[in-house]
Amino acid sequence: MATKLKEVDAVIVGLGWTGGILGKELAEAGLKVVALERGAMRDPAKDFAVPNIRDELRYVVRHDLMQNTARDTLTIRNNPSQEALPMRRLGSFLPGEVVGGSAVHWSGHTWRWTDMEFKVRSMYEERFGKNFIPADMTIQDWGITYAELEPYYDKFEYTAAISGKAGNIKGQIQPGGNPFEAPRARDYPLPPLTPILASEMFTAAAKNNGYHPFPRPSANASRAYTNPDGSKFGACQYCGHCQRFGCEANAKGSPQITVIPIAMRNPNFELRTNSWVTKVLKDSDGKRVTGVTYTNVLNGEEFEQPAGMVLLCAYAINNVHLMLLSGIGAPYDPVAQTGVIGKNYCYQTGAGATLFFEGRHFNPFMNAGGSNASIDDFNTNWDFDRGKLGFVGGYTVAGGFNTVLPIGYRPVPRGTPQWGKAWKAATAKWYQTAMNIGASGSVMANRYNYYDLDPTYRNAFGLPLMRMTFDYKANEHKMGEHAAQTINTIAKSMNPTHLTEATARTQPWTVVPYQSTHNTGGTIMGTNPRDSALNKYLQSWDCHNLFVVGANVFPHNASYNPTGPVGALAYWTADAIKNHYVKNPGPLVPA
Amino acid sequence: MMSMRTRRLARWPTWVVALVAAFVAMTATAGADGDAARGEKRFEDCAACHSIERGVNGLGPTLYGIFGRKAGELSDYHFSPALKRSGIIWTEGTLDTFIADSQATVPANRMPYAGMPDAADRADLIAYLQKAAK
Repeated sequence: MATKLKEVDAVIVGLGWTGGILGKELAEAGLKVVALERGAMRDPAKDFAVPNIRDELRYVVRHDLMQNTARDTLTIRNNPSQEALPMRRLGSFLPGEVVGGSAVHWSGHTWRWTDMEFKVRSMYEERFGKNFIPADMTIQDWGITYAELEPYYDKFEYTAAISGKAGNIKGQIQPGGNPFEAPRARDYPLPPLTPILASEMFTAAAKNNGYHPFPRPSANASRAYTNPDGSKFGACQYCGHCQRFGCEANAKGSPQITVIPIAMRNPNFELRTNSWVTKVLKDSDGKRVTGVTYTNVLNGEEFEQPAGMVLLCAYAINNVHLMLLSGIGAPYDPVAQTGVIGKNYCYQTGAGATLFFEGRHFNPFMNAGGSNASIDDFNTNWDFDRGKLGFVGGYTVAGGFNTVLPIGYRPVPRGTPQWGKAWKAATAKWYQTAMNIGASGSVMANRYNYYDLDPTYRNAFGLPLMRMTFDYKANEHKMGEHAAQTINTIAKSMNPTHLTEATARTQPWTVVPYQSTHNTGGTIMGTNPRDSALNKYLQSWDCHNLFVVGANVFPHNASYNPTGPVGALAYWTADAIKNHYVKNPGPLVPA
Repeated sequence: MMSMRTRRLARWPTWVVALVAAFVAMTATAGADGDAARGEKRFEDCAACHSIERGVNGLGPTLYGIFGRKAGELSDYHFSPALKRSGIIWTEGTLDTFIADSQATVPANRMPYAGMPDAADRADLIAYLQKAAK
């Protein structure tokens, strides 16, 4: 029997970027807030200090900062006719499971998604006609605009210490930045990171091919920085251990060095770690949530935490899982095309080439999370004509390195034996000489890509696992082929000694190897309760005192990394709660 | 234009490092002349990891009471063997040398910091620490 605790104003489930932002903001607004985090506390001073943090076995192979699949995982299949099987080991994506969440181990790439995403259906229909979008492509407008979100992007960028170069300030194109980005009120808080040789070479080649390269904006502080809240950042040391590691120099924009410690100093805020939420509770008529039940994973003790408001801020997949487990909103059915919870799960696609330059020394061990140069000519560039190519969406192309690991990174030209003396000689010869050019591509929502509860497999709490049904569709295949072609054209123009060409991902998606921790959708935002789970303030259409925050609200996935809009939407939602909801609790948008 | 630079791992001979360090030490007596107010701004480079309060260690050890202390001596902070072995006593001069290029001064120490190249900046910083970290 669960011990019933004293009611608080708000309970936050999961303490990463979104939980940290909302926790800080709502505690400062005077609300009593309890945050429940299923993972443990990490103290940068003890856990991320040199030399212990540079442990490839612990952090990369054994996933020290990530979800433990022995306790909870997903079942996976490509389409509804298959039987889904549990993912026994993390692979394609890596949800975080510590205080700070995935934002402890992220690389920091931070983008502003534009109206090309938020108005995806209306823009494509207007330009290419209604028949351009395939019948099974369930993309829809988000119900929010770039102009509404701009101040919140700005706030997140200044909080998270983004280094970059603006490409468009109030409509004025800025040399050296991304000319296709939407207008921003001001530049990034920090100048771009120092380019590495690979990104310099990519930049030169992209320019020669007529494209518009720029340094990738990322939450790696290019110099020491104090953010508007007073949180202090050191300068990035280009240590080469960014993605999957905590930062040894406090240089990575992460909630555990910014919003979370500020919240924790506030007497209105309380954090409980090792606290695994199993259900969101509803009142008898189902119109309001009343709190959550959770288990202390250290001793198995169960608690009920009543709350005036519930904010789901866990990893995107786990937010959707909790909604399904709690029976809030109608589960999505791909056959009848009814229901909304689980709908529009999306992922990302990509392609990559490896270029070998005999005699060059790239020093691949030296890089930041974001020391790549990118081009957006095939992404936010609306002049790029998808009409004749027949696909929706776009892709970014980038050259450089991000976290090139001492053991795992062994580039050798195609045809090299995979073991023995010849392999050893080749890996020694080519290690210094290789660089990569890669593309990251959007994935449009599809009727048959979705989440539901698995009918067979259960987690350590006896609850049904989440079932993921996903595959790339013809749209992604077409775009992937175009991306591979672009990469190979740029790569060949650089005259490498050897080139391992990029190829499109046209085989069925598999959960190995690692691809991208950019899982989106499942509880999507929108303009009405018939085709979305949440309104534009990320408030549940069903229960007005429930907010669900994270990439799970995206109706489709872009080529960009998701954290920019995730952070901006967290601030946007915090403002809506503080300034409107608290004063007048009820639906913020009429259903 | 494609950059034709090749970047190699520079491994300087030890005597060069020693010579540079000695030179830096000789020329680095400006601490007392620094401007503590400007130094407070320079301390932004350090503040993400170092506090100036007694007993408050972050990613780096507290700098409270650093002057006159032996390097690697605080009992509640885990120092690198290199720093413990260094035999350094922190003074204006030794701190100046270390901040300029810590890896050249104490190879294999664990401070992830690229260094403060400008002598006047270091003098300001040290003047600030003398005032604030006592």
